[in-house]
Amino acid sequence: MSRTLLETDGAQWVQKGIITEEQRRQLLALYATDERAIGLLPLLGSLLVGLSALSLIAANWQALPELLRLGLLLGSMIGAYGAGEYFRRRGNGNVGMGLVALGLILFGAGIVLTSQLYQLIGYDLTGLLAWAVAGMGLTWLYRSRFLFLLTVVIGGVVQGYNTGQLGAFSYLTAAFTAIGLGWYWWRRPDSLAGGVLAGGLLWQAALLVNHLHIKITWFFIPAMLIYAFGDWQPNRPAGRAIQGPPLVAAFLFTLGLGLFGESDYYAGELRPPLAAYLAALAGVVAISLWGKQRRGRLSSSTDWLLLLPGFYFTGGLPLAIATLVVLYAYSGSVLLRAHQEQNQDRVTLGTVLFILTTAVAYFKLTWGFMDKSLFFLLGGILLLGLSWYLRRRAAHTFADKTILKP
Amino acid sequence: MKTPLADSSATIAERPSTLSEPRRRQWLLWLVVAQAVFVLGVAAAGYATSALGRTIWLRTAPVDPRDLLYGDYLVLNYNVSQLPGSLWHGAQLPRRKQAAYVVLEPRGSAYEAVGVYDSKPTVNAAQVILRGSVQDVWHSGSRLRHTQRYGVRMRYGLERYYVPQDMGRQLTRRQQLRVQVSIAPWGQARITKVEHETPPPTK
Repeated sequence: MSRTLLETDGAQWVQKGIITEEQRRQLLALYATDERAIGLLPLLGSLLVGLSALSLIAANWQALPELLRLGLLLGSMIGAYGAGEYFRRRGNGNVGMGLVALGLILFGAGIVLTSQLYQLIGYDLTGLLAWAVAGMGLTWLYRSRFLFLLTVVIGGVVQGYNTGQLGAFSYLTAAFTAIGLGWYWWRRPDSLAGGVLAGGLLWQAALLVNHLHIKITWFFIPAMLIYAFGDWQPNRPAGRAIQGPPLVAAFLFTLGLGLFGESDYYAGELRPPLAAYLAALAGVVAISLWGKQRRGRLSSSTDWLLLLPGFYFTGGLPLAIATLVVLYAYSGSVLLRAHQEQNQDRVTLGTVLFILTTAVAYFKLTWGFMDKSLFFLLGGILLLGLSWYLRRRAAHTFADKTILKP
Repeated sequence: MKTPLADSSATIAERPSTLSEPRRRQWLLWLVVAQAVFVLGVAAAGYATSALGRTIWLRTAPVDPRDLLYGDYLVLNYNVSQLPGSLWHGAQLPRRKQAAYVVLEPRGSAYEAVGVYDSKPTVNAAQVILRGSVQDVWHSGSRLRHTQRYGVRMRYGLERYYVPQDMGRQLTRRQQLRVQVSIAPWGQARITKVEHETPPPTK
């Protein structure tokens, strides 16, 4: 319960005789006023002072002597770290972490600006790798989720710069991000961190696939390895969170296959060498299923439906239809599990997936055979009816739940 | 399908740190010192390359002053950026992203390429080696074996020049530039000076 709710509704509860005025005051005393608002003012103030200093330096940057520029870069970086540690020790954790993060950003800026100062833009991928490694070190030392998220972003930025500007992929950066941050997340499972880490790693995997000019389906090998990693995580909500992004990617891919798989050209663009791809996929499936079995989550094996490599078949329309069947099976299984677990959010999610699949199926199968206005009318009625039915089922399930657990 | 946000409330509380506080501070100090040393190292590499390296001049394709409007750096295209396939010395044809060593020799006021190798060659005292990578291989001429030619587009990591403030004003018309490059004994190279083609070089 939040203090705001007590403040707004408390008086009514007293009027209705649910609680006495004395109890209302006791309850209010339990929820102390939020002190973050007070800590925000000095932060904003120092931010403005910092910005003014920054714009002054930036305006005259080229005119400053080299050594002074170097000194400014190092001084501001060490100053930010020092101030961060100072605030943290005084118990002002948020300001402290903010300043440490600023120090980390200044380290990256220092590497880039020093390289520019000495015209040293070479092949060297190590420069920016050091940035990501420093972020990882700070994450471990401060045990901070904020620094963790920042490091994921830094890893993605570094890899984007490497592939985009230097034309090379830094395997070390990818490995450090995956192992360093993955290990941290494994020890301190967290839903938000898991989701963001998976997103960051998928970004790097996509850059690698693009860099190597290989079939985009290879993307799903690293993506599903991340998924399998989530299967082994003992903390279930965190494990689910890290599995979110790979599953979203797989679902969208399958949806695309349902829409465009009819054209053999499109499906052909997706076909990696059969034996190598299937062997790699089978390896990942084995790791995942083993993890599911060890953690007692075999019911979620239906997720793997999305990875059926249907694009190897040169079926034309039957391939598209088979893909739609798979999509139905998948979203149906999500709904079924959600009802079994009585999880409202997942029921909503399953409903959305089901409707999305139906929309694609309808678009795919009817467009060619029917007058267009009729198409929209029937489609609208179908979707409305479906959503009404699914909502009714959902309401029913949760009504049961509240009766069972008063 | 999983719902990351819906589950975030169920986060496990953070475990207590396994490091003792003094140890943690010590590590932190080391980490910050390492970062400062790293930045200093980048600067030192810059100084060392120009102090210990060999200095050569390269010519560029004409540079348009308007290019400067797009940012604080110039994109330089050297005469040695495009090399004919006849200079290639390698067991196999060059591939994209392959490392390559270009042997340069003084010709007049600037250095020109005399050979491209896939591994580091030995050279005489007048020659220098510039390391780069193959960015592209292009083919021209007939597909018949005898007349087909190919060329190599090289990338040296010297293609960007962060322009100092005074330089922008000097560059008033489209012209060739002469670029002074220092090549360190360990292979690192950096631009140390950029001049207009017109004044003769003072060696």
